[in-house]
Amino acid sequence: MKHNDLDRVQRWMHAVITHPDGIVAGADADKARELLDAGAGNLESIVTRSTHLTAAERLAIYGNAYYSRLIDCTGEVFPVLKRTLGEEVFNGFVFGYLQNYPSTSYTLHHLGRNFVGYLSETRPEDAQWSDFLIDLARLEWEIYDVFDGPGLEEKESFEFESLLEIDPARWLNLRFKTAPCLRLLTTKYPVNNHYTLVRGTDEAIEIPFPGPEPENIAISRRDYVVRRYHLSLPQYVLLTELQKGEPLGIALESCADAAQNDPSINLEHDLTNWFSYWSSEQSFFENISGESESQFS
Amino acid sequence: MGRSRSTVNFLRIVMSTPLPRLGHPDLVFGLGLRTVHYTHILEEEPDIDWFEIISENYMDSQGRPRHVLNRIAERYPLVMHGVSLSIGSTDPLDHTYLKKLKKLAAEIKPHWVSDHLCWTGVAGKNTHDLLPMLLTEHSLNHVIERIRIVQDVLERRFVFENPSSYVGFTGSTLTEWEFLTRMAVEADCGLLLDVNNVYVSSRNHEFDPEEFIDAIPANRVVQIHLAGHTDCDTHLIDTHDHPVIDQVWDLYRKAVARCGPVSTLLEWDANIPPFPDLHAEVLKAKHQLRPESERVKEPGEDLAKTDSSSVPHPLHHNKVEVQ
Ligand SMILES: [Fe+2]
Repeated sequence: MKHNDLDRVQRWMHAVITHPDGIVAGADADKARELLDAGAGNLESIVTRSTHLTAAERLAIYGNAYYSRLIDCTGEVFPVLKRTLGEEVFNGFVFGYLQNYPSTSYTLHHLGRNFVGYLSETRPEDAQWSDFLIDLARLEWEIYDVFDGPGLEEKESFEFESLLEIDPARWLNLRFKTAPCLRLLTTKYPVNNHYTLVRGTDEAIEIPFPGPEPENIAISRRDYVVRRYHLSLPQYVLLTELQKGEPLGIALESCADAAQNDPSINLEHDLTNWFSYWSSEQSFFENISGESESQFS
Repeated sequence: MGRSRSTVNFLRIVMSTPLPRLGHPDLVFGLGLRTVHYTHILEEEPDIDWFEIISENYMDSQGRPRHVLNRIAERYPLVMHGVSLSIGSTDPLDHTYLKKLKKLAAEIKPHWVSDHLCWTGVAGKNTHDLLPMLLTEHSLNHVIERIRIVQDVLERRFVFENPSSYVGFTGSTLTEWEFLTRMAVEADCGLLLDVNNVYVSSRNHEFDPEEFIDAIPANRVVQIHLAGHTDCDTHLIDTHDHPVIDQVWDLYRKAVARCGPVSTLLEWDANIPPFPDLHAEVLKAKHQLRPESERVKEPGEDLAKTDSSSVPHPLHHNKVEVQ
């Protein structure tokens, strides 16, 4: 036994306190025994006991804390999903997640980054509701990520008027640099609506899962507060193309295709309103450029 | 001509006897900067001597936390306190992390940068907990060597805190205070003496907390932490969710008698009271050290003594604001 070998003791303790079935199972598992072959029956050969607590009870303080702290923390990243599922079910999902994706980062801000992927990987084939949960988790992760990521607050704001100053003959070649905090999401379920509903409703009231209904969402940030926008399909297509770096002309073609079957949209009229609104929100565009920088300098 | 033997001896003595607080100022009484108090601090500009920030909450932030920090840094002295250095781990040091830590320090200019004598994970995994060290000659050398690297990279002396612990190892051959003392002297680093952690560990490991306080190198203590804990009868847990208990105040007075006035911080991380209540607790600390200073308002009697989930060392997390 190398109970005084720093590396072995650390790997052993890590294996024991992170074991999902607790300290006894952890100490008896091969992973721990390969490092220090004590087993649950001989824990006191490695960890001292106190007058009141056995070695196993002392280790369990770390073991219990490990899952409970990280589950709580993940719950702070996905508060609406947690409320939607109820604490017990949500915590069960996160418990599985942490076993598959333990934190490998110095920061807790990365803790939830694989959660959407994990939900997708473990999605039951036949369960429609799992698509709703995945959509909701995606929305909440983007909100979390946008909140502390790069934004436009310290930059000069983009004004709609600057667009009007440009010769209309050049508009189709314009490229928009979208805001670094702008995220465009398309979901199978109306999760943005659900998010609003849950946050505006008393904790005690249960809110049912919504039925499927595709939704397009923009998430961005202004004055350090995250904002959510419902988008029509043509708006979503237009912004997605612009975000990819396509010139306005190409983006408008795709947008017009998407608007074809929607009688409520009159592009000629609506486009001005859209760009005017997106500019005034100061959370969609950083700046614009033509094909060569010199055109608008 | 070389220096005379007496000059060399004199220099040796001066070099080996550090200035009180390693030359750092006494910032008096500070509070940990927590998200829930941002608005109050920005709007009311309360009369707090200084703030301690959790380094990891700001080193990557490009949103509101960092924006608020920049504004607070204009007005208040700051110190940086980290939880992820993992100085005791056998994993390699994370140089990406060190680079970010250095950058943040260059930008917000804290009086010092601290973390804990612990390991947070191994084999590339992070438990986000402050795990206790095996206390041997070998692990001591391991830690000293790593502190030297960290101090070289950061180009500053680092400061290490004694964490609370709940297990000891049969393989340990040194006491925690022997380890800390030799570590601080040999690596030439500072100490953040958490008197609540001394008390919690003393109860859990059944040693005399005064022996701990008496042993540590007084001039290397640049900061003191005070906090509340949870008494589970069979053991204590460092929960940072209660007022400081009398026995910890006694240890604090003893520490100050040894170290002189030292920057002191009240930690409160779970069930965080409204800012004015915390402020009252800080004024109480001020009174403990300098009883002749202003009349001290007692903290609200109604301070929540709610059930604690008793998870050690609560986590720090930024709260998202969304419309
Ligand atoms: Fe502390």
